[in-house]
Amino acid sequence: MATETTPRTAAGPDGGQDGLLHRTWIRVAAVFAVLIAGYGLLRGQMPFPDSLDVGLGALFDDVYAWIVENRNTSPLFLYGFNYASVGLGSAVILINQGLTLLTPLGVIVLGTFAAWRVAGAKVAAFTLATFAVFGLLGLWDQAMTTLSLIITSVLLALLIGIPLGIVAGRRPGFERALRPVLDFMQIMPAFAYLMPMLLLFGIGNPAAAVATTVYAIPPAVRITALAIRGVDKGALEAAESLGSTRRQILAKVQLPLAKRTIMLGVNQTIMLAVSMVVIASVIGAGGLGDAIYQALNKVDVGRAFEAGLAIVLMAIALDRITAAAGDEARGPHVPPALRRPLLIGGLLATAAAVVVGRLAGLADWPREVRISISDWVNAANTAVQDVFGGFTAWLAEATLNLLLDPLRSVLTDSPWWLVVLAAAALGLALGGWRIALVGGVSILACGLLGAWEESMDTLSQVVVAALATVVVGFAIGVLASRSDRLAAVLRPILDAMQTLPPFVYLIPAVALFGIGRIPALAAAVVYALPPVIRLVNDGIRGVSANTVEAAESLGSTRRQMLLKVQLPLARHSLLLAVNQGIMMVLAMVVIGALVGAGALGYGVVFGMAQNQLGLGMTSGLAIVCLGLFLDRLTQSAAR
Amino acid sequence: MSSPANDPQLNSEPEPKFSVRSLWKIFGKNADGIIGGEYERQDRDTVREATGCTVAVRDVSFDVLPGEIFVVMGLSGSGKSTLIRCLTRLIEPTAGSVVLDGTDIRECSPQELRELRRHKAAMVFQHFGLLPNRKIIDNVAYGLEVRGQGRAERHARAREMIEMVGLAGYEDSKPGQLSGGMQQRVGLARALAVDPEVLLFDEPFSALDPLIRRDMQQEVLRLQRELRKTAVFITHDLSEALKLGDRIAIMRDGELVQVGTAEELVGRPADDYVRDFVADVARTDVLTVRWLMRDPREGEPLDGPTAEPRTVVREIVPLLAEGTAPVRVMDGDRLLGVVGRTEVLRIIAEDQSDDGKLGTGPQPLADGAEA
Ligand SMILES: Nc1ncnc2c1ncn2[C@@H]1O[C@H](COP(=O)(O)OP(=O)(O)OP(=O)(O)O)[C@@H](O)[C@H]1O
Ligand SMILES: [Mg+2]
Repeated sequence: MATETTPRTAAGPDGGQDGLLHRTWIRVAAVFAVLIAGYGLLRGQMPFPDSLDVGLGALFDDVYAWIVENRNTSPLFLYGFNYASVGLGSAVILINQGLTLLTPLGVIVLGTFAAWRVAGAKVAAFTLATFAVFGLLGLWDQAMTTLSLIITSVLLALLIGIPLGIVAGRRPGFERALRPVLDFMQIMPAFAYLMPMLLLFGIGNPAAAVATTVYAIPPAVRITALAIRGVDKGALEAAESLGSTRRQILAKVQLPLAKRTIMLGVNQTIMLAVSMVVIASVIGAGGLGDAIYQALNKVDVGRAFEAGLAIVLMAIALDRITAAAGDEARGPHVPPALRRPLLIGGLLATAAAVVVGRLAGLADWPREVRISISDWVNAANTAVQDVFGGFTAWLAEATLNLLLDPLRSVLTDSPWWLVVLAAAALGLALGGWRIALVGGVSILACGLLGAWEESMDTLSQVVVAALATVVVGFAIGVLASRSDRLAAVLRPILDAMQTLPPFVYLIPAVALFGIGRIPALAAAVVYALPPVIRLVNDGIRGVSANTVEAAESLGSTRRQMLLKVQLPLARHSLLLAVNQGIMMVLAMVVIGALVGAGALGYGVVFGMAQNQLGLGMTSGLAIVCLGLFLDRLTQSAAR
Repeated sequence: MSSPANDPQLNSEPEPKFSVRSLWKIFGKNADGIIGGEYERQDRDTVREATGCTVAVRDVSFDVLPGEIFVVMGLSGSGKSTLIRCLTRLIEPTAGSVVLDGTDIRECSPQELRELRRHKAAMVFQHFGLLPNRKIIDNVAYGLEVRGQGRAERHARAREMIEMVGLAGYEDSKPGQLSGGMQQRVGLARALAVDPEVLLFDEPFSALDPLIRRDMQQEVLRLQRELRKTAVFITHDLSEALKLGDRIAIMRDGELVQVGTAEELVGRPADDYVRDFVADVARTDVLTVRWLMRDPREGEPLDGPTAEPRTVVREIVPLLAEGTAPVRVMDGDRLLGVVGRTEVLRIIAEDQSDDGKLGTGPQPLADGAEA
C-alpha cells in the first residue's frame, strides 16, 4: 500500500521529527490527564443538559408521521419513491425469477461456465463447490435472493458510478466537487443510512437495494475516474492530433485503455455490495443475510454458521471471478476464432441443463440431497465452550471491568463540556485548529442530537476495540515484516478475511462470547485486523533497503533497527493503519448492536424495528458525527 | 556531407504555408495577465518566481513556406515541443496568431479545427503516443478511422505505410512488442497515412539507430521533394538539422534567437548562443561560394576554374590548389564574383580555431573538421 515517499526516506530519521512526535504524545497525554481529573472532581454532576437537545428527534418523528400519512397521496411518493421502490422491487424479483427459471442445474452450469471462461479451472471448481454448498445446506433459495439483490444493486451502482467516474476523470473541476461527497460516503458507517432508506422506500428488498447501491457507488466512481485519468497522455494527445472528437477519444482511447482498472472498480463495487446486502437484512433484505440475522436473534450459532458459510463462499467466488475479469491472461487461452462458438456452446449447455433439470423434476434443489451441519456446529461450539468457556468468560469479564466500564464512565460521567473540550484539544494536538473545530463540533453534535450517552458508550467501545486492534495488529505486522514465511502464510488468510462481509464476523464472536458488548468488540477487532496487519507489514517492508543497509553498517541491533529506523520511516503507513483500523472498528461496533452491544447501533436497530424514526435518525447521525471525529483526528495525525 | 540548402526565398516569394505572429504560450494560472503587464519583458526565471507561471513560448514570429522543411532547434526546455503543439492548438496559445493557408487557426471552431487536424496537418511525437491496446495496423489506420473511412480501405492504406517505414510483417503485433525505434516508425506511418499537407515532427527520430535514422531522413526528404509536403521538424541533432532543414530556427528560453539557412547561422550567428550551437559544424561544409564571393580585384586573373553559386567551400579547395587564379562563381554565363585562396583559408582557419578550442587539435585539410 502507501509506500514511503522518497524525500522522507532520503532524509532519514532526524531528531526533529522524533522530538515533534514526542511533543504530540505529551500533549495527548495531558488532554487525557485533564479529562480524568475533571471526571474525578465533577463525576456525574454535569450530564449533557436536556435543554441543549435541538429536538431533531421530535422533528424526524413528525416527518415520519407525515410520510406515513401521505405515502399514498403525495406526488413525491406517488410518482417518485414509490415508483423507484416498485421498480427496484420488480428488478430484484425479475432477476430472482430468472434464476428460478434456470433451475439450480441451469444456474450451476451457467455460473461454472462463466467462472471458467473468465478465471480458469480453479475458480470454476470453487464456484461449483459454492453452488453445491448452497444446495446441500438447504439455502439455495436464500442464496439466489441474495444474488439477485447483489446483481440489481451492482448494476445500479455501476450504471451511476461509471458514468460519474468517466465525467470526473475527464473534468478535474467536477472531480473536485465530487470528492468531498465521496469521502463522506466512505467514512459513513453503513448502518447510519439504513434508516432513511427504510423511510423512503419502505421495508423490504427495494430499500435494501438502494442502501446497497449507495454504499457501493464510491469505489465505482473513484476507480473509474482514476482509470480515465491514468490513460497515457501521449496516446491521448496523438489521438487528438489526428482530429478525434471527444466521443471518439472516449470510445477508442480512454475506455479501452482504462478497462482493466475499471474492472478493478467493478470488483470493489461487488465486494462492497456483498457486505452491505447482508447488513441490509435489518431493513428487510431477504436471503442469506436474513438467515444469519434470524439465527443470531435466536443465538442459533449452527444455523448462523451455515448461512455465514454460504455468504462467505459467495463472496470469495464473486471476488475471484471479477478480479480475473479484467485480465485475459487469467482465463483459459481461447483462440479468437473459437470465442463465439464457445460462448454459444456454453449457453446451449445451460439451456440443455435447464431442460434436463425440468424434465427430471429438478425445478428446485431436491429436498433429499441435503446435509445440515448446524447440529455439528452447535455440538462443536458446546465442546469449545466447555474447554475455553472459562477463559473467554474471564477475558470478557476482565475487559468489561477493567477497560470498558471505567472508560464509559469517564466519558459519560465527566462534565459534558469537558469531553467536548477534550475532543477539540485532541484535534489541536494532532492536527491544528481546523481539526480541533471539527472534533469539538462533531462531539458536541452527538449531544445536540440527544444521543450523548449512547455516543459516549459507542465511543468507549470503539476506543477499547481500536486499542486491542492496534496492539495485536502492530505486533503481528512487525513479526510478518521480519519473517517472509509468516508473511507468506498470512497473505492468503488476510486476503480471505478482507473479502468477508462484516456481518459474518459476528457469528464466531457470538459463539465464543455469547451476547453483549464483548462479542461486538471481538468481532470488531478481528474485522479490523487484516488491513492493519497489512499496512504495518507493507510499511516496514517499504522502508528503503538502502537506508536499512546504512543503519546495519553502523552496527544497529535488530531492535534498534526496528525502533530507530524502520518504524519511524514507516510512520505514514502506521498512522494510516491506525486510521483504517479505527474506522473499521466503528463500523463493526455499530453493527454489534445486533448481538446486544447496545448504544448508538441499538438506537438504529430499535428505531427501525419500532418505526421510531426520530431515534433511528438521530442515532444514525450521531454515528456519522463520531465517524467524522475519529477519521479527521487519525487522518490528520497521518499527514 | 550537407548539400547547400535550396533556399526557397530565392524564388519569387510565395504565400507562406504557416504564418506565425507574436505567438505566446504561458503555462500557469492567470497567464493572461502577464502579456502587456509588468512582467512581459522579464526573463523566464523572474516571471516564474514572481507569478508561478512558465513562459514556454515568447513572442515568436516566423513563416514556413510551402514545400519547405523548417527545423527548430534549441536546448531542452527551450519550448520547442510547446511551439509545435501550438501550431494545431494541441496546446492553446496564450496570445498571437497562427495562420495556415490563410485561415487563422485560433479563430477555428472545434469542428474546423478537427477537420484541419484530420486532413491538413499530422504530427509525429517525441514519445510516440501509440495506443497500446491496438494492433500496429489499427494504430496506423487510426487517423483514417476517425475520419470515417471503411475498414478495408483504411487497412490497405495502413499496410502501404507500414511497408514504407520498413515494418512489413508486424501489422498484427501490439506496440508493446516492438522496440522503441520501431514504435517511432509506427508513429511516422500513422502521420503519413492521412496524407497531410503539413507534417509536424517533434524529435521523430531520436529513438532510431543511425542506419534507420538515415533511411527515415531520406524518406522525409523524398516526401518533400516528390510530394511537396511542408514540414516543421524539431531535432536536437545538428547534422540532422543541416541535412533536412531548408531553414533552421534556434530557440532559447521560449524565444526565437535566429531564423535562417544553415549558411546564415554558421556564417553570421546572431549571438554567442547560436555560435555555440553551430560551433561543431565545419564551415567549409556549409558555406557556399556565393556566401564567400567578392568582386574580382583589379588585374586578377579571371581564367580560374568555375563553380556554381551553391557549391560548398570544401568542394573548391582542390580547385584552388591547382592554380593561383581565384575560382569564378558563375550563374550560367554570368560572372557573379570570385573566391580566392585568402577567403577559403580564412574559413578553414576559423574551423580549426573552433576545434582548437574544443581541444581536438588541427585537422588535416581535406577532412575539414568533420571528425
Ligand atoms: N503542461 C505544462 N505545464 C507547465 N509547464 C510546462 C508544460 N509543458 C511544458 N512546460 C514548460 O515549458 C517549457 C518548455 O517545454 P517544452 O516541452 O516545450 O520544451 P522542449 O524544448 O520541447 O524540451 P525537450 O527538448 O526536452 O523536449 C519548460 O520549461 C517546461 O517546464
Ligand atoms: Mg520536446
